[in-house]
Amino acid sequence: MESQIHKIHQQLANKEMSCVALVTEKLNALKANTHNTVNSTLDDLALDLATKVDAKIANGESIGLLEGIPFGIKDVYMLQGTTTTASSDLLKNYKSAYTATAIQKLLDAGAIPVVKENCDSFGHGSSSENTIFGSVKNAINPNLVGGGSSGGSAVNVAKDYTVFSIGGDTGGSVRQPAGYNHVYGLKPTYGRISRYGLMAYASSTDCVGPIAKSVEDIRIVLNVMSGKDIKDQTSYASAEINAENIKDTSEIKSVGYFKNFIDSDAIDPKIKSDFLSTIEKIKVKGIEVKELDFFQSDILVSTYYTLAMAETASNLSRLDGSNYGNRIEDKNLKESYAITRSENFSEETKRRIVGGNQVLSQGFSDEIYLKSLALRDAISENFEDDFKDVDIILSPVTPSTPPEIGNSLKDPHAMYLSDAYTVGFSLGQLPTLTVPQGTETGLQITAAKTNDELVLKFANFLKDTI
Amino acid sequence: MSKIMTVDILSSIKGAQPSEAVNKLFDVIKNAQATNNNSFNDNRNNCVSLDDLREDEVIESSSVEKQIIIENFPKEKKGYLVVSKIIEE
Repeated sequence: MESQIHKIHQQLANKEMSCVALVTEKLNALKANTHNTVNSTLDDLALDLATKVDAKIANGESIGLLEGIPFGIKDVYMLQGTTTTASSDLLKNYKSAYTATAIQKLLDAGAIPVVKENCDSFGHGSSSENTIFGSVKNAINPNLVGGGSSGGSAVNVAKDYTVFSIGGDTGGSVRQPAGYNHVYGLKPTYGRISRYGLMAYASSTDCVGPIAKSVEDIRIVLNVMSGKDIKDQTSYASAEINAENIKDTSEIKSVGYFKNFIDSDAIDPKIKSDFLSTIEKIKVKGIEVKELDFFQSDILVSTYYTLAMAETASNLSRLDGSNYGNRIEDKNLKESYAITRSENFSEETKRRIVGGNQVLSQGFSDEIYLKSLALRDAISENFEDDFKDVDIILSPVTPSTPPEIGNSLKDPHAMYLSDAYTVGFSLGQLPTLTVPQGTETGLQITAAKTNDELVLKFANFLKDTI
Repeated sequence: MSKIMTVDILSSIKGAQPSEAVNKLFDVIKNAQATNNNSFNDNRNNCVSLDDLREDEVIESSSVEKQIIIENFPKEKKGYLVVSKIIEE
């Protein structure tokens, strides 16, 4: 699909429509939608900003590319003065005191936030059913899940309720819902975009990720949000990705894929055959394709969840109702903490906190937590070796098509295993993009660390190839 | 003195118990072969260089930020945050 940002920018600049009319249309569509994508709409802020854009155009001033473009924000990002709930009871009335760096950069570029979007509570889930705002329904078939945890964001983009949305990806939370709803979703290299103001789930893999309908829109939004930020010392400076550069795909000579992902008993036969037929089309274009060895899916999933649970147990320990949140008073401070957390966290969030504290406990940490860290290093080393041999790694996004609403919550272990193809790239901190092509739930394109540009290049190549 | 703390105490969650779904994940790790048992011996950690630390200085919050922090207090009295009395055990 063509760039929605360029198209709308032209319409605004040419006065074919006003920014207020555009924002009003998006707000109305969001409010009327039955997919449960909305936690709150930002009417006053959005219309005030839109009025200013219209005034600027009326005065004959030029506007920036993102100026007046309506976008959505997963409800785990701080935006000063707005409610930021993380789709949880604990924070259902919490108001952001400050604005996340990534969101501030979009505001500075003139983009207009219109909605805080539904998601799994604190990012804990792969279906956007673990939320107090109702299960997010898939954009293509509303009986199926929207995916998660950034389900509301992916559905909003797919349904054109937002031009782009900002999700968060810790183990696949942008890439999987993008695949389930047939849109693009990027997990950039860890640290390319500042995490300041993103509610921490697992800090060592948390990434800010754009969701949009074209490679070009992903590129535009990625460029605006990237950069070193003193408030997140894991962030790094990166060069802007040029539109012309990513059209030249001649440097891509070799592509690899993990044989064990495709040979797995768990993969849907149609996803497998579609993936292999994509590989054949790539070979026809003269690109060398190599089969690669990788860790078994159960090791990847278990390593990821062990570390993510340990980190979330630590990160969420601050949520005790003392300074903010839905405090429930009891006979003393410790009891108040316990009842506040017991009543306000969802079952899935509690399961992850408890799992995290288990592996961080004396007697368990060596056997499980430290071993998981060692496995993570081995996984990263495996990737480093792979990228000496191939330019790009291509994989399916998920082993199966989206489940029906209600099924994931019944079997948490099956839900964890459904992340088999996304979590490895999170552990490796690699740039990975979901494209809505190749299989029913799309394809993942991965390149070596910091080479986000190559990922977008290959996406352009695939657009013309399959 | 050593005191065994159960996961419900560690997690501040009443009645919390380890779950079967999560224990299955941990069993995989216990049985996995890790080739490298020292995870701090390479350059894949996200350490910040000593030359790249931010200045150790206090940055005053804006008045709007301070006002919102106060609005978020679960219990407030005359602009102060009210908490339960802490009881030493």
